[in-house]
Amino acid sequence: MSEEIGTEKLRTYDEINQKIKRGDAIVLTADEFIKTVEESGLEKASKEVDVVTTGTFGAMCSSGAFINFGHADPPIKMFKCWLNDVPAYKGLAAVDCYIGATAMSETEGFEYGGGHVIEDLVSGKEIELRAEAYGTDCYPRRSIETTLTINDLNQAVLLNPRNAYERYNAATNSTDKILYTYMGTLLPCYGNITYCGAGQLSPLYKDKGFETIGIGTRIFLGGGVGYIVGEGTQHNPQNQLGTIMVRGDLKQMSSHYLRGATYHKYGTTLYVGVGIPLPIINERVAASVALKDDEIFTNILDYGIPSRNRPAVKKVSYTELKSGKVEINQKEIRSSSLSSYKVAKEIAITLKNWIIEGIFLLNRPAELIPNYREFKPLEVRGREPRVRDIMTREIIVGKPNDDIKSVAKILITKGVDHLPIVDNEGKLIGIITSWDLAKAVAHDKRQLHEIMTSKVITAKEDEVIDTVIRRMEQHNISGVPIVDQSNHIIGILTTDDISRKLVRRVIA
Amino acid sequence: MKLKLIYSRENLGKPVLSEVISKTNLPINILEAKITLNTGEMLIDVPAIGEKLKEVSSLFQKAGLIVKEITRTIEIDRERCISCGACVSPCPVRAIIQDLNWDIDFNEQKCVGCGICVDACPVRAIRML
Repeated sequence: MSEEIGTEKLRTYDEINQKIKRGDAIVLTADEFIKTVEESGLEKASKEVDVVTTGTFGAMCSSGAFINFGHADPPIKMFKCWLNDVPAYKGLAAVDCYIGATAMSETEGFEYGGGHVIEDLVSGKEIELRAEAYGTDCYPRRSIETTLTINDLNQAVLLNPRNAYERYNAATNSTDKILYTYMGTLLPCYGNITYCGAGQLSPLYKDKGFETIGIGTRIFLGGGVGYIVGEGTQHNPQNQLGTIMVRGDLKQMSSHYLRGATYHKYGTTLYVGVGIPLPIINERVAASVALKDDEIFTNILDYGIPSRNRPAVKKVSYTELKSGKVEINQKEIRSSSLSSYKVAKEIAITLKNWIIEGIFLLNRPAELIPNYREFKPLEVRGREPRVRDIMTREIIVGKPNDDIKSVAKILITKGVDHLPIVDNEGKLIGIITSWDLAKAVAHDKRQLHEIMTSKVITAKEDEVIDTVIRRMEQHNISGVPIVDQSNHIIGILTTDDISRKLVRRVIA
Repeated sequence: MKLKLIYSRENLGKPVLSEVISKTNLPINILEAKITLNTGEMLIDVPAIGEKLKEVSSLFQKAGLIVKEITRTIEIDRERCISCGACVSPCPVRAIIQDLNWDIDFNEQKCVGCGICVDACPVRAIRML
């Protein structure tokens, strides 16, 4: 018979807090607890140790802060507002706003965003506030421009809808182009692997049954004390992808544990430090806390595939990822982290010291976080333009032995820039552009096969237009032949088709 | 010592590097090369110091190339660095590694100054020199 989730069988929260107040609670970090279990076994360790601390420090895009500015005289009902040129959400009362980590500066773009504003606020730096309003009988002012620091604010509350993923996918790139993603820089042809999460220090993985983590759990947040508000968005605990929503007073926090960041060609974000104390209330919790890096697995996904369902290249443990190299297809690939394990360890140690010093007590959650939650995708209803809707079906093709001069004539008379080259069965084997023809003339070449590009970037007719546009941008090309499953050419899609036909559809 | 060679339109077609290698008998390594129709830039590693290095440089100069000694490539601001590792695996020449304490360790000798780490750093702690 299984006992109820969250049963305080080994010790209660009250007992733990009494010990903390007396100064005799046994507190270890998750790293230390693992060693203790290895030395003396799980049963003995779970009897001895009262609390285990965890930590993680990584980019958490679903982060931001609620701010109340106080009222100016005459007062303003801010309709739009900017902090250091970063737009904040103003669909709230007159002088409340929410500054989100991924909002980007209207003047500096990717280099400065909401995450940086939060870091600068916490550092005590002066921030420029700009706001616009339409003026009402009760709020006559129409604009405001001033500077402020965190001390001028009534409230500055960090409230992050999704933090501290239990674990996360690792990333690699099968394509022949360098990719800049939210998983960092991915070199071409499986050139490297990036991962995030603290593995055996990861707060949520260490209580994977969600027996102690819930609404009201007191935590380390950004260098100060925070609380868990509830499950995070996209909480998916049945796949070990649980998340939490957290809040804390920004005024207590430190820029050492809250850092604005930029992912190149992706956007801005915020590195957030989160540490959760786990009370060893029963042996299941102890067993989860004792999990080691080699027992925590994740998938390396191919970020070269721009789809929701990226294929898994390999299942790996955090031990492998942290070793700095992972084998894929008999080749050793370098792996490195995006979250900081060094700072994660610091967080676990700091939280441990707070508890030992008696300045941090554990809070029994009012309600535990669910350990099952349906995980839904977003279905796109209605007609979305696909390649087949706008591609050109009447195509002119060439054969490898065609004479360049006659081909040039065809391109001119038909007014096309791309000439797919096919074999006798109509299968695509190359492509020629008008630029290739100019080169052919310059180098005195005669036949198409001498100048054609044989590694052709193609698309399928059922692909969404945006995916194909991104592919053309990545390869810096202006057209793609459309092929079927057996590589027979069935059409062509050019930037010309996209600009003319797509725009016309939108207008219609 | 790493040298940056700048080719002009006039000397672009000449096998300057091969000539220098055969004259000096040094195993010069090409680290990076960007050659277009009009200009060319090459980063090479010359396993020599002192007089021998001077000889190599002057051979390139006589052939009409501009030669720059590359002593330093990037600088890591340790105050800003959060030791995350985002720059580590993208480094194509393994010049950046993480030590046992997860601190970032940079090997100037190996660095070819490609700048991938500069873009990869989320907290902008790395800059090109």
